[in-house]
Amino acid sequence: MAKQLGMVVDAGLCIDCKGCMAACKVANEVPGDNWRNWIKSGDADWQAKKRGRMVFQPGNCMQCDKPTCVSACPTGATYKSKADGVVVIDRGLCIGCGQCIKACPYGARFRNEKLKVADKCDFCSSRRAVGLEPACVSTCPTKARAFGDLNDPASPAGKLMARNKGKATQVVNAQSNTDPNLYYLGDAGLKSWPVKAQMPGAFEFWKNLADPAVKVVVGLTGLGVLAMLGKQLMLKNDAPPPEEHGEEGGHE
Amino acid sequence: MSSPKMIQRHTRAGIFIHWFNAACWFFLLFTGLALIQNPGLNPLGAWYPGAVRAGFGGGAYLLVAHWLVALIWLAVWVVYLFWGMSRFVAPFLNSTFSLEPNRDIQWMIKKNLQMTLGYKMMAKLVGPLGYDGHLPPQEYYNAGQKLAAQGIIMGALVLIGTGFIMLFSKYFLGAADTWLVQWSITVHFIAAGVTTALLMVHIYMAAISKEERPAFISMFTGTVPAEYAKHHHQLWYEELEEK
Repeated sequence: MAKQLGMVVDAGLCIDCKGCMAACKVANEVPGDNWRNWIKSGDADWQAKKRGRMVFQPGNCMQCDKPTCVSACPTGATYKSKADGVVVIDRGLCIGCGQCIKACPYGARFRNEKLKVADKCDFCSSRRAVGLEPACVSTCPTKARAFGDLNDPASPAGKLMARNKGKATQVVNAQSNTDPNLYYLGDAGLKSWPVKAQMPGAFEFWKNLADPAVKVVVGLTGLGVLAMLGKQLMLKNDAPPPEEHGEEGGHE
Repeated sequence: MSSPKMIQRHTRAGIFIHWFNAACWFFLLFTGLALIQNPGLNPLGAWYPGAVRAGFGGGAYLLVAHWLVALIWLAVWVVYLFWGMSRFVAPFLNSTFSLEPNRDIQWMIKKNLQMTLGYKMMAKLVGPLGYDGHLPPQEYYNAGQKLAAQGIIMGALVLIGTGFIMLFSKYFLGAADTWLVQWSITVHFIAAGVTTALLMVHIYMAAISKEERPAFISMFTGTVPAEYAKHHHQLWYEELEEK
């Protein structure tokens, strides 16, 4: 199976310390109010249970198998890497239209305050390049996050996937399941927060109306030109009616 | 054999800006098409952006090439517009944006029928409309040239406006204003499509159709035979005669 980097998260281990968020911000120089990852707090139900508790759900870009952000990118600046399944952004090709930001059901993308282009978690590509794990994984004090090739039973994440076959869950919006590669063990906590993936209006208009319309207009023009060429080749001696040929304004 | 009498139709500056424009427009069209890479769009198929990007050393360089040529194109145009405003630009706009409805609509109908069906069929078809089998006399620019010029000028303005928004969104737009970039992409695409359609007709008429061959040659030499001017741009020819 193809390599697919992913994370397996045991939400029950998370203590909401925000260490992963801070480590990520530093490692990736994420500016200002921008965050590449998060910890969602579930609603605590202190009344119903004997031992009430709260589940914290760490997350970040889920490197989905059916990434709606990629479908919304007009230039192909964001794409799913064939080598490791991570959804990456080519910042040089990104024109900052923000369509991918709207298209992500998880709000995992944001407009980088400094660079003014789309930004998101890429599993710390710069750290991975030198053999390190993503910053959030390394820093987590309770080891709630496991990282690695989900299809490789030898990797930390793959090992957990194999051990919990069929039990690891995804957090998805049922109306637009993007098949994320972030899995949760046990009780993942809050589940209803992902929104339905939506394409921006301008992009829908382009894809469904402008693109076919322009193709028809250019195609019909091409046919018209071909008809003219056909006429030019078939009617070799096409001349205006001879009696007035060259006369000036006689028929006006 | 005496060589036919020639009359001046284009200045050197006009010839230069025409071919400069043509080269830039081609480059921008084909790089622009390659900048679209999306499974739902891909106007020429997925192979096209891949091949062009490989040639430019990646999509990021292709994007730079696209806007760099666009800025050079625009800069040359700005210089031309200021330098030639009274000599070339104002007369050009004056003549291309002045349509005489009856004459020019008739010309458009007849010319299109004639170009596709020939003079005989055209005469038969426009007879019931009360038209005869002759094309109405035309000015320096015929009705088709005028409409093409209007469309291309307006298309160019839209392309420039939306292009600027896309290029400079990284400097002046916040996260809440990106809808402006999104619509700019869509409108940029539409304007490019419409001008491409117009240019297809323009290129056929000028470079492939036999009737306008002298006009094509004049885009290099600057002159047209007097006979051609008399038949194709009669009103202009008469104006020159009067002088």
